[in-house]
Amino acid sequence: MSKRPDLYTSYRKETSIFPNNTQKFWFLVMLISAILVCFVASDYWLILLTNALLVSIAAWGLNIVSGLAGQINLAHGVFVGIGTYASAVIGGVATTSVIGYELDLLIWLPLSGLIAALVGMIISPIAVRLKGLNLGLVTLAFVFIGSHIFSNMVFVTGGSGLGRKAAKLKIFGVDLNSGLEIGNTILQKNQILYFISLLVAVLLGIGVKNLVRSKTGRAFAAIRDRDIAAEALGINLFRFKSVSLAISCFYGGIAGALLMTTFGGAEPGTFNLLYSITFIAIVIIGGAGTVLGPLFGAFFFVLFPALIQNVVLSSNLSEQDLLLSPQQIERVIFGLFIILFLIFEPRGLWGIWFRLRNYFKAWPFSY
Amino acid sequence: MNIFLQATFEGLSLGAVYSLVAIGFVLIFRATDVLSFAQPAMVVVGAGFISYFATQIGISFWIAFFLGIILTGILGFIIERTFLRPMVGEPVFSVAVLTIGIDILLRVVLDNWIGINPKYMGDPFPSFGNFGSLNIGGLTIKYLEVTALITSLLLIFVLSVFFKKSKYGVAMRATSLDQEAALAQGINVGRVFGLVWFIAGLLAAFAGFFITGGFNTLTNSSFISALRALPAVVIGGLDSITGAVIGSLIIGLTQAYVGYYQFDIESAYNIKLGNGFSIVAPYLIMFVILLIKPHGLFGTEEVERV
Repeated sequence: MSKRPDLYTSYRKETSIFPNNTQKFWFLVMLISAILVCFVASDYWLILLTNALLVSIAAWGLNIVSGLAGQINLAHGVFVGIGTYASAVIGGVATTSVIGYELDLLIWLPLSGLIAALVGMIISPIAVRLKGLNLGLVTLAFVFIGSHIFSNMVFVTGGSGLGRKAAKLKIFGVDLNSGLEIGNTILQKNQILYFISLLVAVLLGIGVKNLVRSKTGRAFAAIRDRDIAAEALGINLFRFKSVSLAISCFYGGIAGALLMTTFGGAEPGTFNLLYSITFIAIVIIGGAGTVLGPLFGAFFFVLFPALIQNVVLSSNLSEQDLLLSPQQIERVIFGLFIILFLIFEPRGLWGIWFRLRNYFKAWPFSY
Repeated sequence: MNIFLQATFEGLSLGAVYSLVAIGFVLIFRATDVLSFAQPAMVVVGAGFISYFATQIGISFWIAFFLGIILTGILGFIIERTFLRPMVGEPVFSVAVLTIGIDILLRVVLDNWIGINPKYMGDPFPSFGNFGSLNIGGLTIKYLEVTALITSLLLIFVLSVFFKKSKYGVAMRATSLDQEAALAQGINVGRVFGLVWFIAGLLAAFAGFFITGGFNTLTNSSFISALRALPAVVIGGLDSITGAVIGSLIIGLTQAYVGYYQFDIESAYNIKLGNGFSIVAPYLIMFVILLIKPHGLFGTEEVERV
């Protein structure tokens, strides 16, 4: 049996999270190396990795509503923003201009996800009425209305151009902003944040995998493939579309809360149209409708610009020599990748990985 | 009353300009089933071309104007040929996202060129051109707005004649009804696609000139005003040219009324709508209308079969 990893003897086995030992093995290897990286990497790369993990959480969220349930959502960034500011209000420090309650991370993290999910639930009746491009356009309206509200709710967001500080990093009443001492080693704030993000990402990643193989996940896929047929099969469109949006917003909210803590603060102008489009691009570049795809996409999206910046900085070129600033080069490559992936590899990085894997699986008899 | 008339006139003029962009959207959507998010970027590109030729190179305004418009049209044609032709038959949403990618590319290049200083559009009649205004009975009417209104109406008229009478106009209508049937009738559908993007580019450049002309100037945020044609299209219905024009007028008027009356409303009802509410108001209207009529005011309802 162990020689034939693709042979499944029951449906339960085939749909299990890790169908064979190879996958269990590689998952463990990745997990352990992810933990070890924390002690090796410099602060710069650690923050980047944290960022990538968090962005992939948000991308999973968008993938649930767009890739899995097939509902276009151009406003995912706004839900990320809602989570961000929910965490800042619950866990942040009050000043003369903003409110804050300084609660524990164990309270603000789930709550910021739930608040984003609640907002998603509230607007879902609107989204459920529409489908296809019209839905996409309504969510586009959300982006503009959302950023307007963000920049005008000064007591929550700090106002446009100013922003506010992030929630306090406090677990069980222990303030972790200056690090944590365990025995002889001191865990820095960045390392703690990395661990929290890793833990949350692993949990939520397994959550996505579980969702895909559950009854709800199958209902989502049915709605994506043909909503009318799904309805005829007895799937309650209204319920499942709202649920998909709510779960997606929950993921976005959690990611937003932790992202803000990583960067220390957020300005309402961040959550604009381009920010929302970023997530769509990540899902497309990674591979829509898959579990690993958004993870690939997020790491690609976060680490690739850092690589470009390193190359630009180390190439002894001053900014005047280049036609575009590094940030603009980043954007050009970003736009190009959206186009090229859609034309040449609609299944994204996941598709490339899938073909590579199958090639080596059958090697030397691959065709 | 004066304020009301002033707002109405400005709104109508704005709406007429938006309708040029909106018609471009609708043409592309009907003929090729693509919702082009790149259209607002094309508007800014058109304005950029005109400004570049007229103020930086310094050739006569009219040549610069027509050169800019034609070049924007050609750019639309090239975009269709290179990026969108391989995507024929792909899901509508993928193609829409692809146009977002194009939009990002165009805007990066343009933002880099515009830089921090606003660009001017050049002026056909230095004595009373883009910057001047007319005073009729207490109303200040800018020449630019009058020209925008007249030009837009003229262009809409020319287009409608083109669709009814000319060979290619009929071919375009046939293609938008049914691509395969049009192919079977001997219509070169590929050429029609290119032509549609060309015309949409021309219209975008016209709109670009009027949106950024005079004191408005071309800046990094001109793009936002061009994007406002999107709610206009949605209000009117994605596949209706009449709808696009009416939707644009609604959006233009809303924007103008909100701009003039926001303060009065806020103080009368003691609410705060916030800075820049006139930018959001069109989207709110689009929201409400889509809830009542999911396909827009004039859009055809899709009949779906399983």
